[in-house]
Amino acid sequence: MRFSFVHAADLHLDTPFRGVATHGPLLERFQQSTFHALARIVDVCLRERVTFLLLAGDLFDVKDRSVRARLALRTELARLDHAGIQTFIVHGNHDPLSGDSGTLGLPASVKVFGPEWEDVEVRREGRGLCHVQGVSYPDVEVRENLSARFRRTGEHFSVGLLHANLGGDAGHANYAPCTAADLAAGGLDYWALGHVHTRAEHLLPGGGVAVYPGNPQGRHVHETGERGCVVVDVEDGVARRRFVPVDRVRWHRLDVPLAGVTSLDMLQAVATEVVESRCAEDFDGHAVRLTLAGRGPLHRELTRPGARAQLETDLRERLARAHPPVLLESLKDGSRPEVDLEAVRAGGGFLGTLLDEAQALSHDDAALASLWDDEDLTTLGQRLKRLGVDALEAPRPELVAQAGQRGVEQLHEEAP
Amino acid sequence: MKPGLRINRFQVDGFGHFRGYSGTPGPGLTLLYGPNEAGKSTLLAFLRGVLFGFEKRGQPERYEPEGALFGGELWLETASGPLVVHRHGGKRASEGTLTVRGPEGQPLPETLLDQALADVPRELFFEVFAFRLDELSSFQRLAQQRGVSEALFAAGMQGARRLPEAVERLRKDAEGLYAPRGQKPELNRVMKELEDVQQALREAGDRPALYFSTRDRLAERIAEGHALEVARKHVERELDHAARLESALGDLAVLARDRAELATLPVLDTFPPGAETRLEDVLQRRKTYRAQQAQLHERLTPIDEARERLAAPWPVRERAESLRMALATYSGHSEQLRALPARRAALTSRRRQLEQSLEELGLAVDAGGLLALDLGARARGELESLAGRLDAANAALAQAEAEQTRTREERARLETALGRVQAEVEALPEERPAQVRQRQAALGRMRAVRGDLERLAEQRLEQRRQMDGVRAPTDAVPLRSLLPLSWVVAAAGVAMGFAVLAAWVANVTVGMLCAVGGMMLVGLLLLVRHRVETARHASLEAQAARHRWRQQEEERFRSVQAAMCAREELLQRELLHASGAAGLSPGASLADLAAQESLLAELLTQAERRELLLREEDTLRTAWDVAVREDQRVEEARLRADQREDLLREEWRAFLVARRFPEALSAASALTLWRDAAALRQRLLDLRTDEEEFTVAEAACDAVTARLLQEARAAGLPPGPAETVAARVSVALEEVRSRAADQRHLDGQRGELLAEKARLDQLVLDEDQAWDALLAEGGCQDEATFRRRAVQARRYAELTARVREHGQRVQALTGMGENMAREEVHAAGGDPGLKEQLATLRERHQTEGERHKAVLTEQGSLKTQLSQWENDDRVSRLRIQEETLRAKAAELATRYAADRVTLALLGRARRRFEEEQQPRVIQLASELFSELTAGRYRRVFIPAGDARELRVSDGARDWSAEQLSRGTREQLFLAFRLAVIRDFGETRGALPLITDDVLVNFDPERARGAVRLFARLAEHHQVIAFTCHPWLREHFEAEGAHVLELPGAAKPPREGAQPLRVVSSG
Repeated sequence: MRFSFVHAADLHLDTPFRGVATHGPLLERFQQSTFHALARIVDVCLRERVTFLLLAGDLFDVKDRSVRARLALRTELARLDHAGIQTFIVHGNHDPLSGDSGTLGLPASVKVFGPEWEDVEVRREGRGLCHVQGVSYPDVEVRENLSARFRRTGEHFSVGLLHANLGGDAGHANYAPCTAADLAAGGLDYWALGHVHTRAEHLLPGGGVAVYPGNPQGRHVHETGERGCVVVDVEDGVARRRFVPVDRVRWHRLDVPLAGVTSLDMLQAVATEVVESRCAEDFDGHAVRLTLAGRGPLHRELTRPGARAQLETDLRERLARAHPPVLLESLKDGSRPEVDLEAVRAGGGFLGTLLDEAQALSHDDAALASLWDDEDLTTLGQRLKRLGVDALEAPRPELVAQAGQRGVEQLHEEAP
Repeated sequence: MKPGLRINRFQVDGFGHFRGYSGTPGPGLTLLYGPNEAGKSTLLAFLRGVLFGFEKRGQPERYEPEGALFGGELWLETASGPLVVHRHGGKRASEGTLTVRGPEGQPLPETLLDQALADVPRELFFEVFAFRLDELSSFQRLAQQRGVSEALFAAGMQGARRLPEAVERLRKDAEGLYAPRGQKPELNRVMKELEDVQQALREAGDRPALYFSTRDRLAERIAEGHALEVARKHVERELDHAARLESALGDLAVLARDRAELATLPVLDTFPPGAETRLEDVLQRRKTYRAQQAQLHERLTPIDEARERLAAPWPVRERAESLRMALATYSGHSEQLRALPARRAALTSRRRQLEQSLEELGLAVDAGGLLALDLGARARGELESLAGRLDAANAALAQAEAEQTRTREERARLETALGRVQAEVEALPEERPAQVRQRQAALGRMRAVRGDLERLAEQRLEQRRQMDGVRAPTDAVPLRSLLPLSWVVAAAGVAMGFAVLAAWVANVTVGMLCAVGGMMLVGLLLLVRHRVETARHASLEAQAARHRWRQQEEERFRSVQAAMCAREELLQRELLHASGAAGLSPGASLADLAAQESLLAELLTQAERRELLLREEDTLRTAWDVAVREDQRVEEARLRADQREDLLREEWRAFLVARRFPEALSAASALTLWRDAAALRQRLLDLRTDEEEFTVAEAACDAVTARLLQEARAAGLPPGPAETVAARVSVALEEVRSRAADQRHLDGQRGELLAEKARLDQLVLDEDQAWDALLAEGGCQDEATFRRRAVQARRYAELTARVREHGQRVQALTGMGENMAREEVHAAGGDPGLKEQLATLRERHQTEGERHKAVLTEQGSLKTQLSQWENDDRVSRLRIQEETLRAKAAELATRYAADRVTLALLGRARRRFEEEQQPRVIQLASELFSELTAGRYRRVFIPAGDARELRVSDGARDWSAEQLSRGTREQLFLAFRLAVIRDFGETRGALPLITDDVLVNFDPERARGAVRLFARLAEHHQVIAFTCHPWLREHFEAEGAHVLELPGAAKPPREGAQPLRVVSSG
């Protein structure tokens, strides 16, 4: 029998956006974007007349303490309930069952899986259509491989709904860790996964597929590009997948080439042109991180104290007035003076010694640790950790390499 | 060596005891020699002060003279061209006011001086480039001054010349980002904000949990509210019923009482309502109308009598209109009548005055004649025009005479000046300034070319020395082989011969052994020969390479020598040409040059003066020609003015005679007489007009008076003077108007009273008819019966109405009829029982109402709270702030860490660099110090670590500077400074070295060595040394120093520019 469903995950409703001013016209657009994304997922379900919707965890973040997120979820799922579309939900590490999710008061057609594995048969016109299995996180940290609890229970199409880290993705906490082989062992046809925010598909041995739809709305500059949900059409046990973007605010990381740019006005014009060429008009807004790249005559001007900050302020005001408005998340200076490091190293002298020392340090853990063992840095790192900022937790070799390069730039630049 | 700065000349306007001193140091080594107190330290302070600013007020080295100009000038040679640096003390800035100009005096930016000084800091210049003896031994202070120390050590680090600046910048950047105990740095502020935001989030609590628990409480309160509402409505209904019965209790009692009284009265339903009142009203109105009829009759009688009196006959009333017209006409002329006598007297008086004025005027005419004269505006215009032209002619004549006097005086002045200029020109020689300047320029070129030739000769000498060094013989390598191959062949032959001989003498075995031994010896010989040949070939190749290098060097030297020869030839030709142009022989001495210079300067002054005078003579001659032409023109103008004045005077006389005026009158008198005559004539014309008007007015007044008298007589009024009659007529007419008004008033009053009388008669009739109808309606015949039945009817109606009213009220209050209500009350236990039940119900109602209200209030509060949480985005904003601040803090912390790591890395690299490679400055210092001490010490070095000290070593052991003797320590520091100056010159710019008697603690040998180092440094740097010691002077002179002698302190300097005396030149 033919049917279809929608798979979405990591809604993170009412998530805070970094770099958005807490006042101003852009705030409203960004704050509403996760709600709009959910509404568009529901619109997709209604338009495609799907049988059910799967939400694979992290619907919201408990630590965000957002009432609006809970209410919006209930309101949107009520629309599906009125249309006779079922919803299956598992909770993830950001919205575990130990939170307040039990008191949401969701419509009757919504099935929220508990802390124990469950299998639900989806029926249509009195006949079994498919099986949906799932398990929610009881608490934030789940180190158990939950996928091991899943097993095929019938001949119908079987879907596993799980919030898990497949293959130990380094960019995300390693909760409910599992491997492709673990998933394949369950014998399910479709694994509807959540947790990893980047869209991905993993074909499993034995014919199954594990899918991460990614989050439906990018939240910061590391979540660029289109975001959305996956529509799955099942016919004769075969699942065909289509990605449907639903994000209303899009993030970009763009390089502004410095080559040939001779003045700050010209640089502003070039940056604006780069942004306009990449920011489509049919969005509620865009957020960009610009990086000044390459080598050019403006490098010296940009290293002047306050020059880059002033340029960033001017550009931010200018882009905020665009249609649709563009949020300048930050302006990074990736420009470089025209220094050939290898030539400098070969030239010897103090600069050669500096580069040699940097290279030696970056390969010597003990020396690196002693370099990092600065009282101020240690104190600062501890204070930042208390504030939830993990910037200075451990010595970072790349900082030493950058320091060597920076020292050369500063000294070389001034050299006659 | 990079071009830097050289002091070509200094000019001291006022500094210490110097006034107007100047000096010209040489480009290389210069010694300023002078005794104690000659001003050596003062000059050093002057040079430092002009370049970097004077010392602060109160400092001993400020040398500010009292009451004199403070400061001076330096003529500098720099990479960007000559500069004239001028610095003078002012009231504001203690360092003085700096002015930088070009050689032509054009102003230039001060930055040119900084560039010429290679941006060297003031402290570094004072410590290294221009210092005194006491400053030479202050290396510790130099090392302790962070900026100078860093600059010195970095100066020797290849690739790290700006290391101090970079380190300082990084340090500032890091401190600007974060301070462990600070609040202002950016990261500190961000962390503080983050703490505040997190505190605010903690205070906001777990909003969803609160929301859901509040929502549950709201649901409970809503259910409770519904239950309370039902119970409250039930009690309300019971309470309403009982309250209605209680309110009807009074009405039920009244009803019972009224029904009993009603039964005692007859039925009077049809008796007219309000009968008593109507009866009283009719009686009262009849009485009032009759009284009004009597009052009306009394008012009509006097009005009729007055009307009869006013209707009697009166002549005045009959002629009232004629009298009114005559009186009006008379009144219109009354003012004129009263004024007639006065006007007549005034006219007579004016005529007499005019006749007298005419006599006094002096014209030979009477009044008629005056009126006949033509004194109009046109004639007066002619008179004034003629007088004006006459005055203008007189003025033109006077101006022409004055101008003639002025031009004659100017002509005489020009003639005097021309004579003076011509006399002065004849006294000056006939020489042109351009020619003199050409000779001066040639003299300058001659000096420059001779200097170039001297330097060229030195360079050629140096080239020749280098060439000789290149040509020096080297070790010869034998061209032939040391071990020829024939020797090997011969040796093999000899060996074989010995083997054959041994075989023949002994046996074959011995022969074979001999042969083998011989072959081995030959092989050994071959091996030795191969080694020797290889070494010889290598030596030959090295010799050939040296030969080729020597040939290249010689070729290069030859080309350089050829270029120098060509250059020398060119310079010789230029010298010949310049000397010819300067009027000297090419080999003229410096004294000849100086004498020729002063001669040319004097000649130039005279030539310029002569040229100026010639131009002035031309100017004066041109002015004299102009003055002569002007004098002729003025004379002609004066003659024309004289003729014109005569013509106009004749015309004037003819004009006066034609007007009967005295002919000798001047223009002003004639104009005055003309004005008076014209005024008198106008007054005569005005008098004649006034007299005619008076006659007409007098006739009109007589006619009006006669008509008034006639009308008064006809109206029967008594006769009399006109004014009396007019008053009487006026009174009579006023009385006529008064009587007519009275008549009209009386007629109006009578009509109104008659209408009122008719209305009253009708009202009385209507009231009589109403009385009769009322008695018939009450069924009575008389007033007394009517009144008794009316009282009974009123009580009957009252009781009936009350019974009906109370019955309705019982129905309205209880919703029941009277009887049913009585039964309900009875069932409730009567009045007391009902009241008790009511109190109980009221208490219950109040209790439940309060409870319901509290529940509703709580519901509203909970709903408001929920609604607020549903729409409140404060937590969301705080989370955004938190995440943004975290990202910002991470970025700033990373930047801070990068700064700190870069600083640490630079420090490590620097230590490693110093350990592995001593800075170039230190290497140079080693060489110089070794030379200064004649090899006693071999090496100067800086130990690794943070200590900034110099140590010296003789190869076996080392010492710190403090462990050395004073002289040696000063030699060490001098060597270090010379090294810094050389390194600075090679990398940034060659700056001069200025020292003030720094060699006095050196022994003669080391002092000579130091002077030699100075001389070597002077090849690329300007070196200026001060001393007061003759033995040092000898050393300097031996090295070819340019010696300038300072005047002794005992001999006071004279005012004005005084160049220092040149004693010898190197």
